[in-house]
Parts: sequence; structure tokens; C-alpha cells
Amino acid sequence: MAGRPGGAPPLPRERLIEGLDNMLNIEDLHATVGGTAVLKGLDLAVPTGEVHAIMGPNGSGKSTLSYVLAGRPGYTVTRGRVTLGGTDLLALAPEERARAGLFLGFQYPVEIPGVNNAYLLKAALNAVRGQRGLPEVDAFDFLALVRAKMGLMQMPEGFLSRGVNEGFSGGEKKRNEILQMLVLEPRLAVLDETDSGLDIDALKVVANGVNSLRSPQRSFVLVTHYQRLLDHIVPDRVHVLMGGRIVRSGDHTLAAELERRGYDWVGEAA
Amino acid sequence: MSALADRIAAEYAATAPALPPAQAARRRQALQTLLARGLPGVRDENWRYANLRALEKARFAPLPGGTVEPQSLPAPIAGWVRHVFVDGVYAPELSGAEAGPGFTLRTGAAARDDLPRSAAADVTTPATAATAAPATASPVTAASATTASATAAAAATARTAAGRQGAPAPAHRDDSFALLNEAFAADAALLEVTGVDVQVELVFVAQAEAAQGSSYPRLQVRLAPNTRARLIERHVAAAEAASCVDSAVSVDLGEAAQLTHLRLQQWLDTLAARVGRDAAYRLHLLTLGAQSSRSTGAVRLAGPGARLDVDAVALAGGSAVHDQVLQVEHLAPHTRTAENFRGIASGRARIAFNGKVVVHEAAANADSAQSLRGLLAGEEAEIDLRPQLEINTDEVRASHGATAGKLDDTMLFYLLARGLDREEARRLLEWAFIADLVAKIDVPELRRDIERSLARRMHAPLEA
Repeated sequence: MAGRPGGAPPLPRERLIEGLDNMLNIEDLHATVGGTAVLKGLDLAVPTGEVHAIMGPNGSGKSTLSYVLAGRPGYTVTRGRVTLGGTDLLALAPEERARAGLFLGFQYPVEIPGVNNAYLLKAALNAVRGQRGLPEVDAFDFLALVRAKMGLMQMPEGFLSRGVNEGFSGGEKKRNEILQMLVLEPRLAVLDETDSGLDIDALKVVANGVNSLRSPQRSFVLVTHYQRLLDHIVPDRVHVLMGGRIVRSGDHTLAAELERRGYDWVGEAA
Repeated sequence: MSALADRIAAEYAATAPALPPAQAARRRQALQTLLARGLPGVRDENWRYANLRALEKARFAPLPGGTVEPQSLPAPIAGWVRHVFVDGVYAPELSGAEAGPGFTLRTGAAARDDLPRSAAADVTTPATAATAAPATASPVTAASATTASATAAAAATARTAAGRQGAPAPAHRDDSFALLNEAFAADAALLEVTGVDVQVELVFVAQAEAAQGSSYPRLQVRLAPNTRARLIERHVAAAEAASCVDSAVSVDLGEAAQLTHLRLQQWLDTLAARVGRDAAYRLHLLTLGAQSSRSTGAVRLAGPGARLDVDAVALAGGSAVHDQVLQVEHLAPHTRTAENFRGIASGRARIAFNGKVVVHEAAANADSAQSLRGLLAGEEAEIDLRPQLEINTDEVRASHGATAGKLDDTMLFYLLARGLDREEARRLLEWAFIADLVAKIDVPELRRDIERSLARRMHAPLEA
């Protein structure tokens, strides 16, 4: 594992459990966007079954990390290693990463008029099932599954026949992201600012959705700017991302401390 | 005179004696006008994209007509009366009743033939024309849809001055193929609508190859005041090799008449329409063929309150060229146009749509909205969209936009991030690009037919 320049506090826990036990393992990750270095030696290990929060000020590289993990074109990895359940994630195309069990909940879910929600959900589910060696889902089973998950997300059934995110409010788009996650049952969900733009009721619905999927076989990375999501989804670990690196890690109380003291405090302490 | 014009003249001389004598003088006049003007070529402003090379292999003499196996025709639609033309000639044995509640179809000599030519030829371009910047996109010139869009929108105002200096040449050759049709057509059809809820489907089958001869579908549609009809005009190919089809269609809507006109796949085509007071013309244009096409349309909103809705979809693959020119003229107050175009070019194909709207001085409170969008689905494909607007009155609401570019990267990534195959994701987005216009076809049986044929071509999903 690469050294940790900048004098950040060591992360003994992550170092100790590094290896195949971790769902996600990131070592010395460097990435550029449009020629600008954004991630500058990021290390992170998320053990299987844990929920980790990545917090940080604007421009610290949070969304870049999400996109790099999902393989978005234009986000170029220049150094480092990322494994998902022991598989070299960076060697995979975006669609292969999704089929390998990675789910990215978008900060800004994309509107795709003309492609209906139900079609996308079904195609995505069958893509994942194919990877797992399962047959395509039967139409009846699919509807039953989706209806149950939509109930949990408090979404009216009319959403299914609408265009993907087309004309959805900000809150509806985020619910739709979580609905997709519930249907696809990923091994690792990276949720990029899923709490932004949600009122408190919608936040609870989204948090319920995430909590319902927590399991010893599944991991989550919650990328967020604020603590409030973490009041509803209590993370196992909280990491502070600044200047393209993890500069501090702690348990869930770190989020409250950040909320109280701001990010400048971490910057100074680091 | 070009070699092609020489050949047309020679074929006409050899063929004319065998054509129906009733219109002999008109035929001769049409041919003479055509030859005097010369055939359109790439130097003509409105013809620079058209692929007319297929004409070089065509024989121009009209075909005698014939018949086809009924089962080779598209499935009939319940509640619609169908009439079939084979190689441009009426085929009564394949057709339904020539008169029904609210309509009469006449063919041959009984079709009083006063089909006007394309109205576009009458229009001169005012010196003060404001010409919107064309959105031209090829993989080399346009990086993304937003770039092309921004360029076209931003330049719309800035180009006004340039438009003054470089007013396009008069479109005097726009009715060339209507003249060719008039000279050679052996048959004609006149559909008169005198009632409401009239539903007529006209199927034009091209079964002969171009080297054997050409077909000249010739159709006149007239709606009496306060009538309402839906008309499907479907051109289909039965031949393995390319056919030469040159259609000429005229539409006249009397006061408060309403016509939904669904046109499927043309080759060479000229459409001229006149929309009367408070009449509504809804036009669906679907150009999905493998063979290159060129359609020249001119719609005159002649009476106050006349309205035109156009939804046009073109799909071009291989090395096909689909070229459409549509000129709309607002000649009276409170006239309205809503025009949507979606084109997808793949392979080395090319799509051009030249949509011109002219608001004349008398057309106070006219309203015109144009939205032209092209999707490049092939590395060597090309799309040329030209929204043009000429306004000669102060009281007008007009908007136009043209965007041409590749698939939206953020949409593509979103689908990939959900595990869809790259190829599947592309097809899905291509389908989505035209789905809203296809969905507006309000004949469910026809829409399903079209969706099935599109699905075959695009391997697109029909339903979840």
C-alpha cells in the first residue's frame, strides 16, 4: 500500500483488514478530470457488510470518486488499484462493473424521455441476472417484485410507464434511484449525494429503502455533504475526503463533529 | 441539355402516343417546361443534398400496372377502406368500394386532373429574409448535440444580415419531379371527401425495377368545408431491386375541414397543399426506406385560422440519402404551424431536412414553431438541418431550433451504469429519439405496424 503523504492520521483498521474480506479496496488512487488532478492518492477499504460515509467540502473529489468507481468516460485513472470483491474493477467497462454488482446512485439522475422506467428496470435486472447465471425474469414475477419495492419507496405505479426520470421532481428522481437499487440488489452501492434536494419525509423514505437492503453480504458507500442522511442511515465508518485524499476517518460520531466544527477544522488538524 | 434530359425527351417521344390522350396538351407542356428549366442539381440551393443518381439507371416510360398477391400487402386495418395502385396504376381487384359514406374515389379519366404543381415555385424570396443558421453535423464538425444546438440558436439572429446579402436562389426547380410526373403519369386518382369520419388507405406498390420503367402515383385529395378525414398514403416496394417512383400529391382543405394525412416512405415526391379558413392539416411523414428519397413539400395556409401540424421521422442506413424540403407559407392572419422533425442517420447515410416558414405581410398574429433534431448513429453519417424563417409582418410568434449530434453521453453512461449492453443502450436511445413522434400516430394498427418495422430495423424494444 502506498505511503500516506500529508500527515493524515493513519487508518489502522482499514490496513488490518485489507484483502479479500473487503468488498471495496482502493489503493493510492489518482484520477484526473479534463486534465486536472482531482484524486491524489486515495486509500479506502470497505469491508463486506459495512456502510461507509464519505464526507467532504465541495470540490474535494467526492463525485469524482463515485464516477471513477462506475467508470464514467472522462474520469481518467492515472495511478492506483481498485478491487470489488477481489476483482480488478478498473479493468472492467461500466456495464461490466454494474453486472459485477456495483450500483451507482446518481447525484443527478438522467432524464431519458422515450425509454420507459419499467423497460429499463427489467433490462437492468436481466443484465445482472445473466451475469449471475440466472434466467431472464418472468414478466409476472418482475411486476410483483417491482410493485413491492415501489410500495416501500412510496411511489405510485404510474411511474413505471413514464419515461426514465422524465419530468420527475428532484425527490422523485432520488426515489427512483433507490428503487433501481432495491430491484438490482447490488453487492456494493455507491450513493452520490442521494440526500441532496430531499425534504425530510423523502429523506426518511430513501433512508428506509437503503436500510432495508443492509445485509452482511452487501456494502454501501454514502457520499454526502451533510450529516442529516447519516442520522437515518447510521454508518459503520465515516471518512473525510479533502484535496483528493482521505484525511480523517472515524466512527459515526465523526459526522456530528464535522457538522459542529466544519471542514476547516479537519483541514487544520490534518 | 444534359444526357439525362435528352433521354427523358427521347423516352417521352416514344411513349406519348400510348398514353391516355385526354391530357396530351398538358403533358407536352409539362415536359417542355421541365426541359426548358433543366433538371435540378447540386448547384440548386434546395437540391444540394438530394441523391438523384438512381435516375441514371431508370427508364422513364410509365409501367403498365399489374397486380400483386393480396397477402403481400400490409395487413388491412378494420374500419378503413383500402385502394391499391400497382406501379402507379389503379388495381380495382385489390381495392374496396370507390364510393362510401362521405367520400368518392375517382381514377383514370374520371379523375379530373387539375393537380397544381408545387406552390414553392411561385414564391420569391424577399430581400429582407432572416435565414436561420443551418445545423450541419457530421462526426467531424459536431462534437455533441449541445454544441450544434447552441451554434444554431445563437447564430439565428446574427445571421440576419448575412441572409440579406446571400438570399437563396429562387426554388424554381422545386416542381421538376411534379412536372415529370405530369408528363408521364398514365393514371391519376381523385379523392373527394364530403363527410366526416372518413378513413381511406391508399397503398402504392412498386413492383417493377427501375430499369423496366417508372411509376407515377398521382393523387389529388379534396375536403369539402366542415368535413373530416384520415388518409393513409403508403408507398411500399415489392421489388428486390430499386424501383423508380415519382409521386405527385395535392391536398386542398376547405373551410374548417380536418385532415390527418399519414405518409409512409416516398422516393421522388412532390406534395402541394392548401389549407383553408380554420382548417387543420395534420401531416405525419415517415421515411424509413433503404432507398434514397427526396420529398419536396409546399403547404399554403391560405385562410385565416388555418393550421398545420407536421411530425416527420426519417431513418437512413447504409448509404441512403433522405432529403426533404418543406416550405410552409402563412398567407392569412392567425395561421399556425407546428413542425417537428427527427432524423437518425447510421452507416454512411445522410439525412437533410430543409424546413422553411414564410410569414407573409397579410399573416398578422401568425404562430410558427419548428423543432428539427438529428441523431448521428454512424461514424460516417451526416445530417443537415436547415430551419429557415422569413417574416414579413410585425405581429408574429415564431420559434425555431435545430440540433444535430451524437447520442447523449450522459444518457448512454446512465444506461451502461445499469448494466445494459452498449449496443442495447444505443438502440434504446435511438428508439427513444423518435418514440414521441411515432406515439402521435393515432391509428393504433398502423402505429404498431410501424413500431414493428422500426424494431426490426433498430432491434429496438417495443414494450417492457
